[in-house]
Amino acid sequence: MSEAIDIQLYLQKFQGKYPQGPEGDRQIRQDLTVPFIETTDADVRATSLADDQVNSWLHYAAWNLWDFILGRASEGESGLIPRQEYETVSFVQQWSIYPRFIRMLTDEIGVAGLLDLAKTSRREVGTKINVTRNWAASVCPILGRGIAVDLGYHDANSRREDLEELIQFGRRLQHGTWGGGPGFVSARGYQAPALDADVLGPLVDQARPLEGDAMKTFRRFNATTELFGFMLHYDCRAGMADTGPYPLPDGRFALVRDHFLNETAYPWSGVAEGLPYAVTEVLVFPADKVSATVNDIQTTFTKPTNYLAFLAEGAVFARQKMDTPMSELRVLDDAEMKTISAACHQGTLAMYKTLARKSQEEKIRDGIMVYTREFLLSHATRVGLWEKFRAEGFDTLHADAERAWPVLTSGKAAEILTPVLLFGNGFPSVTSGTNGTA
Amino acid sequence: MSTETLIGTGINVFTSDDNAVGVIRFLDSPDEVLEFIDGPDVENTVVISRGGTTTFMSPALMAGVAGLITLQGAPESHLGILSREFSIPCVMSATFTDGIQTSRGETIPADGTRVRLDITGEKGQIFLLPS
Repeated sequence: MSEAIDIQLYLQKFQGKYPQGPEGDRQIRQDLTVPFIETTDADVRATSLADDQVNSWLHYAAWNLWDFILGRASEGESGLIPRQEYETVSFVQQWSIYPRFIRMLTDEIGVAGLLDLAKTSRREVGTKINVTRNWAASVCPILGRGIAVDLGYHDANSRREDLEELIQFGRRLQHGTWGGGPGFVSARGYQAPALDADVLGPLVDQARPLEGDAMKTFRRFNATTELFGFMLHYDCRAGMADTGPYPLPDGRFALVRDHFLNETAYPWSGVAEGLPYAVTEVLVFPADKVSATVNDIQTTFTKPTNYLAFLAEGAVFARQKMDTPMSELRVLDDAEMKTISAACHQGTLAMYKTLARKSQEEKIRDGIMVYTREFLLSHATRVGLWEKFRAEGFDTLHADAERAWPVLTSGKAAEILTPVLLFGNGFPSVTSGTNGTA
Repeated sequence: MSTETLIGTGINVFTSDDNAVGVIRFLDSPDEVLEFIDGPDVENTVVISRGGTTTFMSPALMAGVAGLITLQGAPESHLGILSREFSIPCVMSATFTDGIQTSRGETIPADGTRVRLDITGEKGQIFLLPS
């Protein structure tokens, strides 16, 4: 940003104007030229977009990113995994390769097939075809575009067709999940009740009161499996996903929480040997004592903050393999929960010791693999394209990502990334005047 | 009557009437973390880390330390989320008025200092306890 800005103001309000949360969502949507963050059956099928549509989407996405990243106030440095470094190089990598692979996916199953694929998030638990990927598969590579523009690799109007492909891919996934209306969770009141009632019902029916040892076992299981999910996925949130809150009868609500424990796609997956692909928890709370919001990366925040003190009932399910049918989900008893908790404890320590010995470069390269694979791996696997993706160079680091690596991992990274992540520079608008057909 | 002295404040991750009381240990590298969890009195220790990422402190979380203090980060960060799940009191982006200097010039209580974390409100407070 060339002109001087009031940084404190920009940290309080997006571009000095829009606040965080529901009020910020309301204000920025009021100012969008067209309501293109909402999806319809017709406009998700459009194959080219007008400037107003693209720019409205970009403007909202920039606020949306600021809205949740601000709360993290920069997680600060990591003594173990260089996450900011690998994430930012991954954004550039995603911008370089995602459009090609997304076209491959869309050509394979068509737009109708994509919409059906995204409905998986309504019909299944323990799946990464979920709300987080709806957001990440489009916003993250488009943020990579912003970084590429900022670094001078090309201008904002270059590769317009790729930008539109990514926007429409994200919107199609959102449409499959929500069936229309606002696609971002931030525009849906920070509520993400993705599961259909007939899927949720049998899960909630298994919830049992949690007291004494049962409560202790459940909470230990929740904490250790979540931590292991973070570790397995290189400290990113790809290993966890909450949906809800789901209002229940008699003044309660439920959260449904996936922890992914055995993603076999990575060279270090052996640390998860024997664990289920995913475990899914149902957590039931009294609505008069605690309330919950969920963000676009499926993380829950509550009022009051000590929400687990109000946990009343719970149930845990295991999905043994990525492709285990929902009909074969099994309920875990306390003994198996303890066994899994212990395995996750050991697995976390084993990963930690391995990571402590890896070089910074190795960890960044590993992290790029995770962060680039995670948002498309499950979709491609489900339609039988993953091996083709790999054969066609999905994991090969693009020249632009190689070029960006030293810049984004240097001491100057913060100087570059702060305006990109927080001041809106990551989503530069287009000005080509292309007419869309939506 | 013993008195406490307020020596630090930060952002509280989750509220609780339970106090965390323990002795300070600053952990600055993965090797230090691994050495620490194999040592004595883990459950009576309040650990300090610089950043707010989860993985660095994961052995300490699992070992059940009395409390966590970070010099960076916020409750929405990964470590904030996980300290909540482990129900380990956590104060983030803490600044101290009294203590020793780290190699980077940050002021923190010295290892072995006995403290109490007050996490009853939005602001987390760190009190020096009489030895």
